[in-house]
Amino acid sequence: MSKGQRDRTAAKRIVEQQKAADRRRTVTIWTSVAVVAVLVVAGVIGWVAFSSQEKKNTSALTTPSVAVDEGTAFAFGTGKVTVDLYEDFMCPICNEFENASATVIDGLISQNKATVRYHPVAILDRFSNGTEYSTRAAGAAAAAAQGGKFREFHKILYANQPEENSSGLDNAKIIELGKSVGLGDDFATAVNNKTYDSWATKVTETFSSRNYNGTPTVVVNGKQVQSANGGVPGPDDLTKAVEAAAG
Amino acid sequence: MQLDRAWPWISTVARLGLAAVFLVAGGLKVGDLAESGRAVNAYQIFDYDTSKVIGAVQPFLEIALGLLLLIGLAVRLSAAISALLLVVFIAGIISAWSRGLQIDCGCFSKGGAVANGDTQYGLDVARDAGFLLLAGVLLVKPRTRFSMDGLLMGER
Repeated sequence: MSKGQRDRTAAKRIVEQQKAADRRRTVTIWTSVAVVAVLVVAGVIGWVAFSSQEKKNTSALTTPSVAVDEGTAFAFGTGKVTVDLYEDFMCPICNEFENASATVIDGLISQNKATVRYHPVAILDRFSNGTEYSTRAAGAAAAAAQGGKFREFHKILYANQPEENSSGLDNAKIIELGKSVGLGDDFATAVNNKTYDSWATKVTETFSSRNYNGTPTVVVNGKQVQSANGGVPGPDDLTKAVEAAAG
Repeated sequence: MQLDRAWPWISTVARLGLAAVFLVAGGLKVGDLAESGRAVNAYQIFDYDTSKVIGAVQPFLEIALGLLLLIGLAVRLSAAISALLLVVFIAGIISAWSRGLQIDCGCFSKGGAVANGDTQYGLDVARDAGFLLLAGVLLVKPRTRFSMDGLLMGER
């Protein structure tokens, strides 16, 4: 190979290397632009999903006229101490709490020791095969409150609590249970029309904005009550907390 | 060199692994955005309204990032963004841990409160650190097999 040929080969190689480097640079720039674009689009999709959800909730909101605490709870009893109960109708531990503490709660109300406020939240919608049982049950409870039968309905709904990851009780069954405690056609209409379902979402949002995360959450005069080991309080814990708050 | 030939394969495994992590994490959250917002709120770092927005946007970002890693587009940048996200997640978990909050990290699940002694912050941090390691591998060695990058660069 002559010197001239060698030089030409070397020059060709340098040109090729430069071309490859150029290509790499171009590809890097445009793929990076594409990545940023994809992430921006994903963010926008998230934002749109979020705002359409917000809009749906506010436009459909019907607050039961009997609700207290910024329209997010139903109150029973007239005692000075306030007991707030945040419960999800799908939550088995709420059911256990209700069973264990029913007598104490009934006593607090009937002896006017406390005002008990029920907040039916819906944080477990994903456990009912897409039928959103938590929301439907909470909405139905609002309709029951409007019909003057909240506690009766609350009790029978827990007595018939569906398993988590089942489809929950269907609306027909919810209406049947409502009728069994004396609720009428207004109740059935509200359940079928999902009148208070957006309200259930609002109750849940209020619950979250107060930095409560799990159900049941039991709050006495603004202070969360827990068992000695930090779990769900039992009837004795509740009694003690109310007595302490009463002074 | 043996290792030079192995790196693209190691990186490929890291890339696909990280892609799976983000796709699963985002996919589990995207069906219930309100729940995702509550999980963010449980950290008590942002106010509830901010948490709701983060909770709604985050699953979509995770899925997008997962898809980008899956096809292997701008792997180094995708890995850098993944690493940044993971550092933020780890910081959030450590913050919740140090404040003694009783919450589930909500990384792959509902999040929210758990009973005393049921928290597993150490495990969550270790797992996220493992994912961070995958991102680190890709940051240092972004060349992978079966990637859009490779296709566009004209590699065989």
